[in-house]
Amino acid sequence: MVKMSLDPMQVMSGQVKELKRSPSSNGDTRGSWEEKEEFDPNQLDLTVKPKTVTGRRARKVEGAMFFPKPENAVTVAVSSRVLFRTEREQKVFEQKGVEEYLRYQIEHENEPFAPGPAFAFVKALETVNSRLRELYPQSEELFDIVLVTYNHAHVGIRLINTINHHNLFIERFCMTGGSSPIGYLKAWHTNLYLSADAEKVREALGEGIAAATMFMLEKMTEVSESQLRVAFDGDAVLFSDESERIFKTHGLDKFFEHEKENEDRLLDHGPLKGFLEALGKLQKKFYAKGQRLDCPIRTYLVTARSAASSGIRALKTLRAWGLEIDEALFLAGAPKGPMLEKIRPHIYFDDQMFHVEGAAEMGTIAAHVPYGIAQKYNSQHKMSTGK
Amino acid sequence: MVSTVQNTDVKQKDVGQAVVVAVSFAAVFEAEPGDARSGYRLGVALPLLQVLQKVNERLLEENPAEHQLFDIILITTDSWQQQQSFSIINSTRRHGLEVSRFCFSKEEDFIESLMQNNVQLFLTTDGNEALQATQQGVPSALLDKNLASCPSEQLRVLFCEDAIIQPHAGSTAASKKSAQQSFLAQLGQIRQKFGMFNSPVCFTLVTSRGGKDSCCSTLKSLRALGVSVDEAYCLGGAPRGPFLSLLRPHLLLSDGFTQLDG
Repeated sequence: MVKMSLDPMQVMSGQVKELKRSPSSNGDTRGSWEEKEEFDPNQLDLTVKPKTVTGRRARKVEGAMFFPKPENAVTVAVSSRVLFRTEREQKVFEQKGVEEYLRYQIEHENEPFAPGPAFAFVKALETVNSRLRELYPQSEELFDIVLVTYNHAHVGIRLINTINHHNLFIERFCMTGGSSPIGYLKAWHTNLYLSADAEKVREALGEGIAAATMFMLEKMTEVSESQLRVAFDGDAVLFSDESERIFKTHGLDKFFEHEKENEDRLLDHGPLKGFLEALGKLQKKFYAKGQRLDCPIRTYLVTARSAASSGIRALKTLRAWGLEIDEALFLAGAPKGPMLEKIRPHIYFDDQMFHVEGAAEMGTIAAHVPYGIAQKYNSQHKMSTGK
Repeated sequence: MVSTVQNTDVKQKDVGQAVVVAVSFAAVFEAEPGDARSGYRLGVALPLLQVLQKVNERLLEENPAEHQLFDIILITTDSWQQQQSFSIINSTRRHGLEVSRFCFSKEEDFIESLMQNNVQLFLTTDGNEALQATQQGVPSALLDKNLASCPSEQLRVLFCEDAIIQPHAGSTAASKKSAQQSFLAQLGQIRQKFGMFNSPVCFTLVTSRGGKDSCCSTLKSLRALGVSVDEAYCLGGAPRGPFLSLLRPHLLLSDGFTQLDG
């Protein structure tokens, strides 16, 4: 297994600490939505064809470009190192320092980066958007993908070239040049933040933003091109870590006892509940148009809980929250890898590195949610960070 | 009629190489309510002036013989203020401001005083003044209370997508363009004197309208002028307010002048 290598951006931000601005409370006076930028339905091409993954999307004229208001869209912020692969550049940074790293980036400006671990997920979000636009041409309830990187703007042109090369529809970004991205995540009303930097992910979670760390995968199994599949662990991801605490401190028997006693008491929510909720809202839009069977979003719960006992509390909680999950898989402690391999999610969220690593070994795109009691018990990281 | 008084407390800069920044008096000092004898309160331009001085200090640390420094001059067209010139100069000294010259002129001559002093950037809180200066080819920026108001170790300059004037017909426009571009080029040169880390100058690009491709072309245009930005934000139509309150720039540069939103 590749050892986790030093994150260059962590080094960078460490060195510019004195210049970091602590984000002032934002959102107090939001600038007024610039009226002239509001899209005019008469100008907009409403006959959006379903986008095929391989075909080149016709670029709309900029004046008629459709940008959803951040609070209306489901905003997914991704860092450049999980969207693309930048290992070579990271080596340059580590071995030759930041000035050389930036010079290298500029020199290779016209060479696009290869796709990274979050790439397939982002492409799948765009597929859902195409389907949503067909059914609701004027709605702003779409996925909005924002590139949030604390890379330096010198790398900007190469990143933009890469986005164009891969035909990604990303029109918004923040390159913070070393400053913390957390304030900007809030300004974008971010629903989910994916990064290679566990520190930043923890910070985001601390601010109430769903976030997960992604790692470079040596192998990635093929995923669906027509249906977005998102899988979640239960405890400490969708739900709080309260039950996991019992399990970790008092063992399995105590855990079962506790769950039985509290079967009718709802679990508290976990960091990714909000994101599941956002997915559910979009799913309902398809159901409303009679597309339940053909819905391009599918959600999965993959939990070590067991169906007959501890799983009941999980299902009751979800039902009470008004959240539907398409498939709930109760493994009763069996390894998650083979099940995930069957599901082939575009992303799988788990709070335990052990499971994330296990999934990755089988080629599943897994993301770590560094939340809850399990972080004290995490196994040695064997994964390389995404670049 | 334009008259200039040198501030003998401050070493005069090499006018040929310095970046002359003219600040309107009203942006630096606000009259204390009531009694003029009690002097002046400091206005919205103070944090900017202080940080420009810090940049000068750092430039001289890098190279004690540096001539490409910020040269700050104060401009006033208010005849009443001009009668108080002694008090103005005193207030400047008392607050430790490194203002090298004071320019007094009549309102109709203030453009002339900008020209005479080779001003490359004019800062004011008065929209009309900014507009006039811009129309006459002097790059201007409007200062208001929404800009950075705390002491800072780093000058933060924000470029908006129209910071680089696109060519229009007409000779005024052409000279306006070249004055803007030469000012930007000078800023770029100053930035180059520091490394990536611990720089007392930080350039940020914010594009509000248009998508990544227009942001990309602005990045390239700025780079062609010798301005490498440190941070870039492409808002794609999202409201600027929340981002500006995070960025807290000292200076906002765009074509003409812009009022900050919210």
